Amino acid sequence: MAVVGKSIPHDSAIGHVTGQARYIEDLVAIEGELWVDFAGAPVAAGTIRSIDTSTAAAMAGVVGIYTHHDIAGNKRFGPIFHDELLLAEDRIDYLNQPVVVVAATSRSVARKAALSIRIECDSTTPILEIDDAMEAGSYLGPLRKIERGDVETGFASSTHVIEGVFRSNGQEQFYFESQACQAIPGEDRQLLLISSTQNPTETQAVAAEVLGLGMHQVVCQCKRMGGGFGGKETQSAIPALMVGMVAQKTGRPARIVFRKDTDMLVTGKRHPYVSRYKVGFDTRGRIISAKFDYFSNGGAYADLSTSVMERTMLHTDNAYHLPNISISGQVCKTNLPPNTAFRGFGGPQAVVVIENVMQEIAQTLGIDALDVRIANLYRDGDESKNTTPYGQVVKNHLLPEIFAKLESTSDYRRRIAAVQSFNKSSTTMLKGIAMSGVKFGISFTSKFLNQGNALVNVYTDGTIQVSTGGTEMGQGLNTKIRQLLADEFGIDVDDVMVMTTSTEKNNNTSPTAASAGTDLNGTAAVMACGEIKKRMAKFAVDHLKLAGKVEDIIFVDSTVTTRDNPTGEKAVPFGKFCDAARRERVDLGQRSFYATPGVDFNRETGRGTPFHYFTMGAAVAEVIIDRFTGDLTVDRVDLLMDIGQPINPGIENGQVIGGFVQGMGWCTTEELVYDDAGKLLATGPTTYKIPNITDIPKVFNVAYIDNPKHDVNVRLSKAVGEPPLMLGISPWLAVKHAMSFINSPRIAELPLPATNEANLMCMTGLLDEFDAPSKERSVSGTH
Amino acid sequence: MRDYLSLFVNGNCVHVVGEQVFMTLSEFLRTELRLIGTKIVCAEGDCGACSVLVGRASKDSRTFVYHSIDSCIVFMHQLDRTHVISVEGLGAPNGGKLSAVQDAMVRCHGSQCGFCTPGFVVAIHGLLEEKHVKNCDTPPDSLDDDTLRIGLSGNLCRCTGYAQIIEAGKSVVASEVEPLNDQYPPRRMLNQFAKTSGPSVRIEVEDRVLLMPSSLAEAIELKSANPEARIVSGATDVGVWYSHGRPSAAVSIGLTGIDPLSDVHDHDTEIVMGAGTNWTRLIDTLSESFPQFVEILHRFGSPQIRNLGTIGGNLVNASPIADSIPFLMVVDATLNLVSVRGMRSVPINEFYLGYKQTDLQPDELVESIVCPKLVPNQILKLEKISKRRDMDISTFTAAILLTFDDQVVTAARVALGGVGPVVLRTPFAEKSLIGKPFTIKSMRAAGRIARDEISAISDVRGSAAYRGQLAENIFVKWFYDCESANRDEVTV
Repeated sequence: MAVVGKSIPHDSAIGHVTGQARYIEDLVAIEGELWVDFAGAPVAAGTIRSIDTSTAAAMAGVVGIYTHHDIAGNKRFGPIFHDELLLAEDRIDYLNQPVVVVAATSRSVARKAALSIRIECDSTTPILEIDDAMEAGSYLGPLRKIERGDVETGFASSTHVIEGVFRSNGQEQFYFESQACQAIPGEDRQLLLISSTQNPTETQAVAAEVLGLGMHQVVCQCKRMGGGFGGKETQSAIPALMVGMVAQKTGRPARIVFRKDTDMLVTGKRHPYVSRYKVGFDTRGRIISAKFDYFSNGGAYADLSTSVMERTMLHTDNAYHLPNISISGQVCKTNLPPNTAFRGFGGPQAVVVIENVMQEIAQTLGIDALDVRIANLYRDGDESKNTTPYGQVVKNHLLPEIFAKLESTSDYRRRIAAVQSFNKSSTTMLKGIAMSGVKFGISFTSKFLNQGNALVNVYTDGTIQVSTGGTEMGQGLNTKIRQLLADEFGIDVDDVMVMTTSTEKNNNTSPTAASAGTDLNGTAAVMACGEIKKRMAKFAVDHLKLAGKVEDIIFVDSTVTTRDNPTGEKAVPFGKFCDAARRERVDLGQRSFYATPGVDFNRETGRGTPFHYFTMGAAVAEVIIDRFTGDLTVDRVDLLMDIGQPINPGIENGQVIGGFVQGMGWCTTEELVYDDAGKLLATGPTTYKIPNITDIPKVFNVAYIDNPKHDVNVRLSKAVGEPPLMLGISPWLAVKHAMSFINSPRIAELPLPATNEANLMCMTGLLDEFDAPSKERSVSGTH
Repeated sequence: MRDYLSLFVNGNCVHVVGEQVFMTLSEFLRTELRLIGTKIVCAEGDCGACSVLVGRASKDSRTFVYHSIDSCIVFMHQLDRTHVISVEGLGAPNGGKLSAVQDAMVRCHGSQCGFCTPGFVVAIHGLLEEKHVKNCDTPPDSLDDDTLRIGLSGNLCRCTGYAQIIEAGKSVVASEVEPLNDQYPPRRMLNQFAKTSGPSVRIEVEDRVLLMPSSLAEAIELKSANPEARIVSGATDVGVWYSHGRPSAAVSIGLTGIDPLSDVHDHDTEIVMGAGTNWTRLIDTLSESFPQFVEILHRFGSPQIRNLGTIGGNLVNASPIADSIPFLMVVDATLNLVSVRGMRSVPINEFYLGYKQTDLQPDELVESIVCPKLVPNQILKLEKISKRRDMDISTFTAAILLTFDDQVVTAARVALGGVGPVVLRTPFAEKSLIGKPFTIKSMRAAGRIARDEISAISDVRGSAAYRGQLAENIFVKWFYDCESANRDEVTV
C-alpha cells in the first residue's frame, strides 16, 4: 500500500508525547563530562581593558578558563565572509559577545564561575539602529541591485505616485530547545559534536577551522532539534565551538545548553528593515513603476545577512508583476548580535512592503485592495505579465485561481461590506479585513547549496536505514523520507528508519533550510533507491528468473514480484529477497547525489533563474480592534495554498498553520525592545510574546488547491516550510485596513509589529482630537 | 519536628532531604530522578513546557485533587505530602500503551519538534481530570474548544500554531481517560502521609534553613523569631527570582502546610479570603459576588500559575502592575495582619508606601483580606491591558467603582496600575465625577484629569505615552461598556 500522501504520524511523535524523545540536555552524562558556560562583554561597543578570572579560577570544580588566546586554529569564521570571532579579542562588537569560556564539573559551578569573571571595557557609542548605521556609513557587503525597464519614465507616466518608508522589526526564532551541544573527544584528536543544529556540515567545517583540525577529524551529529526556524543554521556553531574547544583542551566530554535568556541575548534574529518605496500606478491601481531600497540591520558580523538581503530583493514582487522596477539592498553593520536566518529568510520583509503598498494604492484610489491585487497578479502564459524583475518566468501557477477561489470561499465581498458598515456604527470597536498573497521561490539563491546526498542501506531482513544531510527540527522531514522510501521499495513504513544525521554518513551537505529539506534530501534518497532497485531487478531476472525483463520487476506489498502477476506464486517476500541477493553478492547499499536542475542566479547582474519553482497561496484575515486600548483580536483567517501533491498532508498542514501563526506573531505581538545601550529587554516568554493558543483565530479555515500544471520535484510535492509564514502578514494588513477608516484620506503609518500599543498610538495619531505626545517610545522600539 | 519531606512521584514514594528541598521540582525530576520528559525552556513559569500534575489531599482526606503547575518555579518544599505526576506517569506507567491524550496528540499531529509536547499532554490530562472531578456522577463528555483554549493558555508552542493540538484535545473521549485517583489509588499514599510523624518541618543545610509550620500560630512565632525570613507560599515570584540567580534567603518559612490560610468565607456584606488562597480557588468562590474580578483572574498568569500563586503573595510582592490591587483598592478592602503582638487591620489604600514598599512589619504575616461586597447602586469595571491577551504581565491595569443616586454619581473610586511606583488612586479624577451625571462628557473629562495624576514610565511592556493614553481612554471605554452591556445597572 502506497504511503506517500497519507497522514501518518511524525516518526518521533510517540517519543514526543511520552517525553522520551531526547534532546541535548537529556543525553545521559558521560563519566567526567564537563559543563561549559561563558562570560560576555558588558558593553555593546568598545575595547577590553582587562579580564579578571581570578575568582573563577579559585572556585572548586572549575577545570578550565579560556580566551581567544587559547584558540588553536583560525580565530575568524563565518558562512559567507570570515569575519566572526568565537571569542572577542580586543574589540567588542556587541553586548554579551562571548569573551571567556569556562568549564566546570557542574552546571551551577560553570554558571557561577562565568558570572564571577570581570571584564573591564572602554566603551564607545554603539551603532544600534539602521538609521545610525546609514549616517555612519557602516555597512556589510556590497550594495546590490536588480533593475528592469525605466522607473523614472514609469513614474512620469503614472497617474498616481506614492512614497513612504516602511519599518519592520526583528523577530526572535524562539525555538524551545535553546542552542546546545555536547562534545566528545576521541583518538587522534578526533572530535564528535552532538549538536542541535540545522547545519552539521557547517558545524564540522567551522569546528575544524577554529580548533585547528582537519574536517576528517570532526564528526557532527544531530538526532533532532527542539525547533530551529533558521536560528540553528549558522549560530549553532558557537556553542559547538565552545564545547569543542573545552573537549580538545581537557580531553573530557563537555556540554553546553544556553539558558533561554542567554540565548535570546546573544544569538541573532530576523533582520529589522527600513525600506523606502516609491510606486507609480494608474487609475485602476495597476503598478507601472516601482522603486524599493532596502536596508537591513545585519548586526556585528556578516553571518547570512547578504543572502537574506538577496532573498528580500528577489521577493520584492511577491505575487505581482512589476513592469518597471528598481530594487536595491544594503546590509547595515551595527553593534547587535549578528542577525541570521529565520523562516522566510528576508522574504517576509519584502512581501510585507509590497502588500502594504497594495493597501495604500487602494486607499489612495478609494477602491478595494483585493481588486488592486488582482489587477497586478502574475498571469501564467501572458508574456507581458509573467516575468520577474530578475528575468525568471513564473509558470505553471494558479495565482489568479487561488485569489478567485479564496475570494469566494472566504465570502470576502460580503464581509468587506459588513466591515464597512460595522465601522460606521460602532463607537467602541474597529474592524479590518485584508487578503494577501505569497509566491515564494524554492531553492537556495546560492547555486552551490542546491545539492543533497543520501545513503540507503538495505539489510537482509528487508529493513532499511537511510541517512541524509537533512536534519529534523519538527518539520517532519524524516517522516516524509520514510514515506518516500517505503513506497520506492513497496514496503511498510515501519521497516524504514531514518538515521541520526551525521557528517560521517553524508558529507558536504547543505543546511536544512530554504524549505528545501525534502526536495534535496528526499530526491537524493529516492535516487539511491532507484540504483538499488536496478541491481535488485537484475538479480530477480538473472538469478530468480522472476521475469524475462528487468522492466517487469516491481516492488509492492513487501514483495518483489512481476508486473503482470503481482500476487502470483513467484512473488518473493522482500526480506527473503534481500537475503538471497546478498548471498549472490548484490550490492544493497547506495549513496546518491542530487543537484537541483536549472537554477542559476548572477548576483552581480541581478539576472537569472534562482528558483526551481514557486510555492503559492493567499490568505484573508479579519481583525477587530478596541478603539480605546488598541487591543487587537484576529477573528477569522482563511488560507488557501498550492503546496503540490503533499507527501504527508497532516504534517504539511501543520507546517502551514504553524508558519502562518509564526508570521502573525511577527506582525502582532512579538516585539524586540532594546535600551539605549543595546541591551535586549525582552529575554524570555515573560517579556517576549509569541502567539498563545488564545491568539489563534476562532475561525481558522485552511484549504489547498490542486495544481495539475505543477510538473517538477519529488513526487510532485512542493516545499512548504517557509511560504505560509508570509500569509501571517494578512492580519497586519487587516489592521492597516481598519486604520483607513479612522481619518479616511490619511494613510496610517502603522509599524510592524502592530502591537496593541502601536495600534492605539496609530489611531490616536490619526485622530486630530487627541494630542498624541510621541509615537516613538524613548526606550527605542524601532529596532 | 521532621527533617525530611515525604511525597510520591508517579506512585513511588520519595523522601526529600537536605539541599534537595531547595531545588525546584523540575530540577529534582530531571537530575535526581532522571525523569527527563519534563522540559525546561524559560525557567520562569511562562511557557508550560515543565507542566506536571500535583495532587493534594482532598478536604476529607480520601482522594487527591490534582492541578497542573509549572514545575520550574516550584520548590520541593512546597510539595510535602503531595503526589506529583509527570508525563512519565501518564498513560501506562510501565511504558506500554499510550494514554488516550497521548494517542490523540500522535494521531492529530499535535507535536512537531516535541519540546513543548509533554507539557501539553500533562495539561490536557489536567483538564480531563478537572472534568472528572466536577462531573463525578455523570460520564464527562469531551473537551470543547473554549475549555481547551483557556485551559491550555499556560502552554506555549512555537511550531504547530496550536490548531492540531486543539483538534487532538477535542478528539479525546474523556471517559476513556482513567481518573487519576483510579490510576493511582490514593489510600496507600495518604496512609503513608498520615504515618509521617511530626507535621512541622525544619531542615537545615550549610547556609540555609527551611521552616514549615503547621499552624498559623506557629508561623507567627517563627516569623517573630526570624523577622528576616522569606515567606514562601505559591512561590510564583520567589521561584522566578531563584532561577534568575537571586540568592536564597538564609531562612525560608513555607506556609503550604497551613490549611486555614486558604479558606474563603462568604458573609452577607463581605468576603474574607485567606492570604494563602490561590487564584483558581478564588475564581471558583468569587464568581457570584465579583464576576468582574473573576474575569480578570481568568487572564491572571496561566492556569498553572493560578494553581500556585496566592492573593497574599500578590499583595505583599507589591508590584505596581499586580492584577488584584486595583480591584481591592476600589472596593476598599482591608488586610488583616497578624504577629505575636496581635492582629491589626490596614485598609489596602494605606498599605503601599512606595515602590515595592508596604506597611507590613518584619514580624507580621498577612492573614486574610476582607473585601466588602457591592451594593445595588454601584458599578464596578476592571481592565487588564497587556501585549498579549493571555499569560502576560499587565502593561496597565485599572479599576473604577461608581456609586449612584438616580443617575448622579455620589461616590467614585479609581485605581490605575502600571502608571507609577505603586497602584495609584486618582483623587482629582474621582472628585470631578462626584455630583455629576454619568455621561461621556464627564467621563472624558475625568480621563484627562487622571492622565495628569499619573507618572508612567517606559519599559519593555510599553511606553509612557501609551500608558498615559490608556489612562485617559479607559474612562470613555468604561462609559461605553456600561452603556452597551448593562444599561439597567447604570440607571438603578
